[in-house]
Amino acid sequence: MKLSLSWIKDYVNIPEDADLKKLAYDLTMSTVEVEDVEDLARRFDNMLVGVIEKIEPHPNADRLRVCKVDIGGGEIKDIVCGGINLKEGMRVAVSCPGAVVRWHGEGEPVVIKNSKLRGVESYGMICASDEIGLGELFPAEQEAEILDLSAFDVPAGTSLADALDMNDVLLEIDNKSMTNRPDLWGHYGIAREIAALYDLPLKEIKPFETDVQSDFKVEIDAPDRCTRYIGVEMSGVSVKPSPYKMQNRIWKAGMRPINALVDITNYVMLAVGNPTHAFDADNITDHIVVRHASEGEKLLLLNDNELTLCDDDLVITDSEGPVALAGVMGGAKDSILPKTERVILEVANFEAAGIRRTALRYDTRTEASSRYEKAIDPERCDQALALSMHYFMELYPELKVTGFCDNYVKKLERAQIDVSLAWLEKRLGKHLTDDEIRGKLEKLGFEVQIDGDNMHVTAPSWRSTGDISIKDDVMEEVARMYGYDNFDATPFTTSFTGAINQKDKNLVRSIKEYLAIRCGMQEVYTYPWMNDVFVNAVLQNTDGILRLSTPPAPELGYIRSSLLPNLCEAVAKNERYFNDFSIFEEAQVFFDRNYTSVYDETESLPEQRRHIGAAFASSVKNINTLFREAKGVLEYMPRYTHMEAYEFRKEEKPVWADNVVWLNIYLGDEKIGDMGLVAKKVSMECGIKNLSVMLFELDATKLKPLASRTNKFTHLAEYPETDYDISMLFNADAAWHDIYDAVMGKKKASALLKDASFVDEYRGKQIPSGKKSVTIRLTIGSDEKTLTSQEIENAANQVMKKLSKKMNAELRTQ
Amino acid sequence: MKDKINSILSEAKNKISESASEGELQNVKSAYIGKQGSLSLLMKEIPTLDVSLRPEMGKLLNQAKNEVKELIDEKRVELKLKASEVSPDFDCSVPGIMPSGGGLHPITQMCYDLNDAFRSMGFEIFEEDEITSEMYAFDKLNFPPNHPARESMDTYWLEGHDSGSTNEKLCLRPHLTGGSVRYMQTHKPPYRFVYPGRVYRNETTDSHHERAFFQYEALIVDKDITFTSGKVMIQSILSKVFGRHVPVRMRSGFFPFVEPGFEIDMECQVCGGKGCSVCKHVGWIEVMPGGSPHPNVLRAAGLDPDEYTGFYVNIGLDRLVMMRYGVDDVRLFHSADLRFLKQFR
Repeated sequence: MKLSLSWIKDYVNIPEDADLKKLAYDLTMSTVEVEDVEDLARRFDNMLVGVIEKIEPHPNADRLRVCKVDIGGGEIKDIVCGGINLKEGMRVAVSCPGAVVRWHGEGEPVVIKNSKLRGVESYGMICASDEIGLGELFPAEQEAEILDLSAFDVPAGTSLADALDMNDVLLEIDNKSMTNRPDLWGHYGIAREIAALYDLPLKEIKPFETDVQSDFKVEIDAPDRCTRYIGVEMSGVSVKPSPYKMQNRIWKAGMRPINALVDITNYVMLAVGNPTHAFDADNITDHIVVRHASEGEKLLLLNDNELTLCDDDLVITDSEGPVALAGVMGGAKDSILPKTERVILEVANFEAAGIRRTALRYDTRTEASSRYEKAIDPERCDQALALSMHYFMELYPELKVTGFCDNYVKKLERAQIDVSLAWLEKRLGKHLTDDEIRGKLEKLGFEVQIDGDNMHVTAPSWRSTGDISIKDDVMEEVARMYGYDNFDATPFTTSFTGAINQKDKNLVRSIKEYLAIRCGMQEVYTYPWMNDVFVNAVLQNTDGILRLSTPPAPELGYIRSSLLPNLCEAVAKNERYFNDFSIFEEAQVFFDRNYTSVYDETESLPEQRRHIGAAFASSVKNINTLFREAKGVLEYMPRYTHMEAYEFRKEEKPVWADNVVWLNIYLGDEKIGDMGLVAKKVSMECGIKNLSVMLFELDATKLKPLASRTNKFTHLAEYPETDYDISMLFNADAAWHDIYDAVMGKKKASALLKDASFVDEYRGKQIPSGKKSVTIRLTIGSDEKTLTSQEIENAANQVMKKLSKKMNAELRTQ
Repeated sequence: MKDKINSILSEAKNKISESASEGELQNVKSAYIGKQGSLSLLMKEIPTLDVSLRPEMGKLLNQAKNEVKELIDEKRVELKLKASEVSPDFDCSVPGIMPSGGGLHPITQMCYDLNDAFRSMGFEIFEEDEITSEMYAFDKLNFPPNHPARESMDTYWLEGHDSGSTNEKLCLRPHLTGGSVRYMQTHKPPYRFVYPGRVYRNETTDSHHERAFFQYEALIVDKDITFTSGKVMIQSILSKVFGRHVPVRMRSGFFPFVEPGFEIDMECQVCGGKGCSVCKHVGWIEVMPGGSPHPNVLRAAGLDPDEYTGFYVNIGLDRLVMMRYGVDDVRLFHSADLRFLKQFR
């Protein structure tokens, strides 16, 4: 909302030398956020009113003229101009060098310089209204029309800001910061707040009184939705422009002046925040009735939209049918037209929620509806009426009030609240005297009675539509008027009930740090919605997956039941820049099943779990290495993050996995995840070109943190141990698991064998087909003595012999 | 001859001590005790001496040779210890080899930093599920039934669960505060917890607006809390994030679930409060809403608002990370773009 300071000053005497920065700061701290304070005149720097003395043709251009312009101080300047309405004697807006304009009202601002136009020196320019930001205030009727200021009786050389009454300050207020304060939606409301903040007197708007007697009446058939309706029937009006001062203020507040009848209604709304409306009285048949629309009833709006109404809509009707959508927009039938001579002024109060529903239903939010939906108090109709009538009578001296009806169905009850002063002090953390508290509240229009510890507060009508309803609201009023900055921070006291030990939270953090820091993987975030392409490629089935009813895009409807589709998408996106990387994500997944009611029996929430997913992508490593890298990350995770160990099994191939390279992850008898190589077909569908991708996904909710660190201590070997590598040929399908078992299983191949570990395996030219070479590192040692090389070799030979026997292995001959 | 030996010896000693490299030392060695060295040559003169002098001179000469040899050996060790193992043109300006690369998401990092700070003040960490009912997203937080945030244009409702009464309508949580009510329902006061999590708004995105973003809620509820205690919480957050004291101000703000409510601003860290384009020339940047939980919210959580009160803040982590590092596009956080993420290690 934009406010004009000079308009606010109509209602409160802000000293001329007031520090506006401080005013904006104080309003921001205590009331509403002032986003910007603009010295409006700055927009018109280096602009003045010039008088065209003489118009001469341009020697080199048919469309241009060279104007001799009196710019005051006895100076006549040549200005080249292409305006089509130039006349000698005309007053025009001249932008002198240094002024900032926009060519044809569009594009970036440009600083005017002395320049030559087609060979003729031009001192600045003669402006069209939109070139100096005044297109809405002085709309041009045709292209290349110069702003004609002849109606402004000022001498040549008057600064444009002075001539057009632009020496003003505009306050831009963040609408969001006052959604709860319907009283502030107008200049008067802000003036009232400023008066309270600085203890200045606020001007009253004198009520309108009339003794007109007639049978004019307004009927309210929907008292639930219309608490008050004032109708004033007037004759002696006409459609003409409103006075410049009114147009100027309407423009400053961000609206467009139209004609005097419409401008008065808008002006009053901008002044006191209560929308009003003027109907052409000659088009109202019989009298006005406010009622619910009947189902299917039609209404053609001012903007030519035809609505089919429902009975939740409120309409203003005459005996023929609806003439306006109450509180939202007038109808076409009774709108002000050039020949309007009699009007009915509507000053009404409508119920907020209903207006909001209707405005949303027809996607027609207007200045009026956005004010009504904040809940305006019906008392404000008095101000709106008084101000409207003031201007009607001022603008139309011939005006006659021919009918008047104030149908006030339900008087507003002012909010009454009892506040314990001890409670107030406790919550404020500060002692304020009774007089201080009373002073702060009374300035805001509250009535205060203090009796011992009890303070009885009556809120003013303009704060009684929901804004102030409980004692906490009263506390807030006292605190904000005292100034939040004036309260010191008070430390809170601690009560120790034991150390915080959240093993589950710690485990997830340990895992993430393990993956990132120890395993060198990068954490990524992706959205909860999945792209259909990746759902189809990776999950291949949408059963049990939840959908959004209004997704960010049609193809992003499914929300994730697995982290893998989005990880594949991330891999595909990064392929352009990286050929070897690993990423992981920890996030929530959702399932359309197992609905439960943990917190409230009437609520039923779907199954939601937290998963950890990872992708290892490389075009430079072979699949063997990539597989072992991914598996290594999983194998060592329980140990490094202190959780119960899980194991790998091969029970059920994940749909996205290669036929051979995959494993299931089991904790006890429960499957908690999968790992595997992404099948070629799947990665092609994901748009992954050259990368091989290993994935894993674990259900983090199933992981079990250990109660404490477990680690076994073994004594350091007393006698030296020796690593001894052997390479043997095995059948190509021999599993390491079996080889290890043969060597280190129940019956160890040699009593001196401490350990056996996998070094690598090789298949290639030198290896007969159907075979592979496996290099095994044996750790050989004794607890009793240092072994001789013969003893070590004997132990190794025992191992080899056992492998030959059990696994059909042969020693690899070079 | 004795004098000759002594003069050669002292000459040799000088040469040895002057030697700056092993090569020079080698030259000294051959010049004095090598086959053609001056001391070796003197040896050949012994037989020409008077017999009575021979044993003494021979002894002197041998002593001299040994002394030279010992000094050379000593010097050699000394030179060895002084010298480098590599050639003097070794380039120390070549970059180091990066340790294996990986990292936490910058928002996770920020979240963990804050968790550590709050844990040290005795706060628990709380997490909740992301799908919630309208009842917990709005009703229990004192949002009026017709509040704009409830409309589909602001909230992601789930298909098949997007109509009916508020306990039946399900959505991706639009904020964390509903989850705080769940915590309060299931725990006994006093409360002191933080609640990090991702929330969702159905919005048009641009460099400063996202559909998914992170909030960090901190809530304290006890019998004797004034809203001024909240300032301690706010300062803890900001000093942890920025590593120094950051001036903050609390100003009037309205949110349905708090009373009184505040907008909390911090001094603009770009201009130090002087005013710049980042802070729209006001010197302050809005960082979080806060306030005392509204009595209706406490009631919804099963507490007596006459007995209990508290303070709540809810900080946008994305925004804080953006300010900490100067990131200018919020959409990068969910881009999974490694070129971006690799910068935060």
